[in-house]
Parts: sequence; structure tokens; C-alpha cells
Amino acid sequence: MAEIREEAVRQHYTEQEKASVFDKELMPHVNSMYNFAYRLAFDEDDAKDLVQDTYLKAFRFINSFERGTNAKAWLFRILKNSFINEYRKKSKQPAKVDYNEVASYYNPDDAGEGMTDLPLETVQHMIGDEITGALNALPVDFRTVIILGDLEGFTYEEMAKILDIPIGTVRSRLHRARNMLRERLLSYAKEMGYDKN
Amino acid sequence: MTKTNLEFKYKAMSEFSEWFEQTFKDCYCEEGHLIDQDRFSEIAQLVLDNEADEESLALFEEKLRNCVQTSGRFEKEKNLLKCIKNKLNKFRQDIPGDLANAIRNSISA
Repeated sequence: MAEIREEAVRQHYTEQEKASVFDKELMPHVNSMYNFAYRLAFDEDDAKDLVQDTYLKAFRFINSFERGTNAKAWLFRILKNSFINEYRKKSKQPAKVDYNEVASYYNPDDAGEGMTDLPLETVQHMIGDEITGALNALPVDFRTVIILGDLEGFTYEEMAKILDIPIGTVRSRLHRARNMLRERLLSYAKEMGYDKN
Repeated sequence: MTKTNLEFKYKAMSEFSEWFEQTFKDCYCEEGHLIDQDRFSEIAQLVLDNEADEESLALFEEKLRNCVQTSGRFEKEKNLLKCIKNKLNKFRQDIPGDLANAIRNSISA
């Protein structure tokens, strides 16, 4: 996959070239973009608005995108920034304080510490909907790395650039996020009687 | 790949290399038994995510060949990660039918 450029080199596309770059390089990612937006916002209308806004911004700044480079990562970075800067603020849901989220924000090294011994058979018995529910319950920063890494297949380097965090933080956050997901799956399985341990 | 990106990649790899070596060492006791499952899971995930450099991978693979506990733990980590990924990937939200057209209309407006 092509790289996300550290410093954008300004392009000089004609109107026809702009339309072609937009259609051939940016639009093919609309499905992944909508899924990412939906998993961040949990609301169909907000997700649609977020994706539309992202594409509008991408078109407006298309001269800072070099043809043939990593369009998907570029779009994800714009969407993530739009979500943080705009949608989180005007979310339809009133802000709820999740004390675990606050604790993990202020003590990132303690978050998700410790290994959850989740049996493989327990996960095999679950349906995708149940696992998605557990993912959705994670604090947004942890949910995001799982979406980017395990669902969208971005490398650590790409995630570091999308999220504006050091690559070492990507590694540790992804590990913690997976541990937190396993903890939730295990407690859900116990509640539902899937796990007899 | 641009010079900046190459530098970034090599810097990241060397960061992981040092981290990997130290973390790998901390996973085992002096007799070579696996004593820290959590740290092991972190390095196993780095390997499974294809983010370990050649040197770290060689160190890891040698241990896998010689330690039953390590290879068992690694298999479990691999299968668990794969199973969760597969199930998550099957459940994707359907994109609204009019979204692509709405985007195209909004940029041509």
C-alpha cells in the first residue's frame, strides 16, 4: 500500500483530473468509511453526515493528495479528525461519564492491564453481533485501534499517522484494546452461561 | 517510498526491535520457562500483525521450535485473534443506497 505522506506536496490538478482522482481513488472507499463512521457515531444519520463531510473536505483539499498514494488512510485521517472536532461535540447523546474511560485516559499504562484467559471455544460459540456489541462498548480510543487494525487492515505505521500518535503507542493501545475486548467477551459469556469456568 | 517515510519506517522498526528483545527476555525465567503470559501475548500479537522485524522474528521462531509451552500459547493467541477478527468482519453495516450519489451531488453543487 502506498504511504501517507508526511508533508503534502501540493498538486495542480485540472478540473477533469480532480474528478477522476475523486472517482477512482477516493470513492471506492466509501463502504469502509461508512462502517468506520457508524462504529464511531452509532447513528446512521450522523455516520452519513460524517462521511459526506469527509468527502467534501477531501474534494476541497484534493490538491494536497498525491495520486497513487494511500487514499484510504488519508480519508480515514480526515474522518477521525472531523469526528473528534465536530461530531463528538454535537452528539445527539448527552455526554456520559464512563469512569473506566476516564481512568484509562489518565492512566494509560494501567488500562486493560493483565491477561484475560478467554477460551477459544467461548468465542466460537458467539455470533458476530455479540462480538460487535462488546467492541462498541469499549472507550472510543481503544475501539478505534481495533477497527483500524483488525477490521480495516491498516499497518501500525498507518494507524500512527491516522491517529497522530507514536507507533509504540499504537502497539500498546492495540494490545490493551484486545485485552479489554476479551474481558468483555468473557464476562458476557459468563452472564449468558456460555463459559462454565 | 519517500526518504522521510523510509526514515520513519526504520526508526519504528528499530524501536520495536529493542522493545521486542527486552520484552521477550522478560517473558521467561532463567530456566527458559514462560512466566509472563501478558507480555508474551503482546509480542505474539506483534508477530501476528506482521510488525516484527527479521531479527525479532528469528528469535521468536527459534523459541517456538524449542518450547512446547510457547508454541501452545502462540497457537492459542493466533486462533483467538483470527476467530474474533472473522466474526467482527462478518458483521458490517450496510451502506445507505443513496450515500454515494449524495456525495457526488454535493461535490458537483
